[in-house]
Amino acid sequence: MKNNIVILGGGQAGIYAAREIRQNDSKSNIKILGEENLLPYERPPLSKDFLLDKKKEEDLYFHSSDVLKNENIEFENISINKVDFENKKLFAKNDNVYSYDSLLISTGSENKKLTLDNNLKNDIYYLRNLEEAKKIKEIVSNKNKITIIGGGFIGLEIASSLSQLQKKVIVIEIGNQLMGRIIPKQIADLVQNTHIEHGNEIILNKQIEKITKKNGDYEILLNDNSLIETDFIIVGIGSTPTVKLFENTNLKLDNGIVTNQFCETSIKDVFAAGDVSNFYHPFYERNMRLESYQHAQNHGICAGKNIAGVKTEYTSIPWMWSDQFNLNLQLTGICDEYDEIIKRGNDINNGVIYFFLKNNKIRGACGVGIIGKVGRDIRITSKLTEKDTIVDKQILSDQNLKLNKLIQK
Amino acid sequence: MSEENWIEVGSTDSIEEEDLIRFDHQDKTFCVYKLTDGFYATDGICTHEAVHLEDGLVMDDEIECPMHQGIFNIKSGEALSPPACEDLKTYPVKVDNDKIFIKID
Repeated sequence: MKNNIVILGGGQAGIYAAREIRQNDSKSNIKILGEENLLPYERPPLSKDFLLDKKKEEDLYFHSSDVLKNENIEFENISINKVDFENKKLFAKNDNVYSYDSLLISTGSENKKLTLDNNLKNDIYYLRNLEEAKKIKEIVSNKNKITIIGGGFIGLEIASSLSQLQKKVIVIEIGNQLMGRIIPKQIADLVQNTHIEHGNEIILNKQIEKITKKNGDYEILLNDNSLIETDFIIVGIGSTPTVKLFENTNLKLDNGIVTNQFCETSIKDVFAAGDVSNFYHPFYERNMRLESYQHAQNHGICAGKNIAGVKTEYTSIPWMWSDQFNLNLQLTGICDEYDEIIKRGNDINNGVIYFFLKNNKIRGACGVGIIGKVGRDIRITSKLTEKDTIVDKQILSDQNLKLNKLIQK
Repeated sequence: MSEENWIEVGSTDSIEEEDLIRFDHQDKTFCVYKLTDGFYATDGICTHEAVHLEDGLVMDDEIECPMHQGIFNIKSGEALSPPACEDLKTYPVKVDNDKIFIKID
């Protein structure tokens, strides 16, 4: 049967869903509606290789327009401002109307904004999309002392890139550690040391009281009355799911769009995937919302299967990475439900991993090391977690013993 | 096939089964694998970002990049899982008197 399938959101989850639907359904119309006038592109390089000029805009696209054409997937740059779930219609700002039989919402997430005087709003920069990355790249070329508000992944990746561009960088973080929302303190401290070794200044436990513009530069007043002078300010203080369009509808929202393990929302024929979805994870037996590359990809693929009628549970063990300086940090599973912590390795040259165990099984792990040094072990850990394996702690803690011994048992 | 392009990598017992070693030759890096049915060779650097695959995970016939989990088929070089989308170059391998050789073009 030929259906109209509409994908609202032209990011990673949307494009992977579209291609997966096409793999399973050669007939239906598939249309992606994207707010940015760009084909779906990779965001991770924006804060790293794009700023460092190692990757150009054309390197970022997931697929060329030819791929979409060959698979008969339409992409339209349009902004939707109203949804009528009852009559299965989307209304655009330009009065276009889109009818659907199945709808995937993959609108992603948006940056939390610093509350500021209105007259400073245009002076503060955020990084989520290509346009913002281009602007930052252009402006920082003429700046020297740059302050980053927020010590999370995005802020630290920008800090690492700008340091490599010989800028003086200050990172201000409100919490008592970097990346505190999901990264264990033990690992965050190792990353912090690397930033300091490269000359970045890290200020923890401080809040911004006031930002004042002075002769084209800025003065940032912190809550301990200290004053930071800076040429340029970038803010990365987290994000929220993009759900404004659905706030006055029947769609169930709670930190994003609530979905089950099949990417189904509270409304029939409406699915959600990626950053915007607060999904049920059958392995962890709880709902979670993830903002990561692997999740956007795999959740999109899972939604695509379910939309095409191939009933598929989403069981991916969470995995994410961050690259800062010559370090690669990786996290798998969840690291906040444990009764025991086991450490593997002692220095970042060979990689350091902390495993978080509950009832002798791994629930999550987080590691950091010189590029390439923790990936294999983290990947094996994902497999051990997924298989719910009772692990030999001696092998986990001894870097001389290979972890794949555990998997082959 | 000219004989001089076969380069000796090492002895067959230098690689454990379902594992790999890195082999550098004239500014190029290769990975040589021992799978259950023999030896194979590919380029040593991931096609997604410049990362050495020597630290990656070998499982069944696949090598997974340690940095971003791109997966390649070791025998064909085919990119199987994003973010990798460009195939990995593969090289012929032969074993002679317990020594592994790869043919570099």
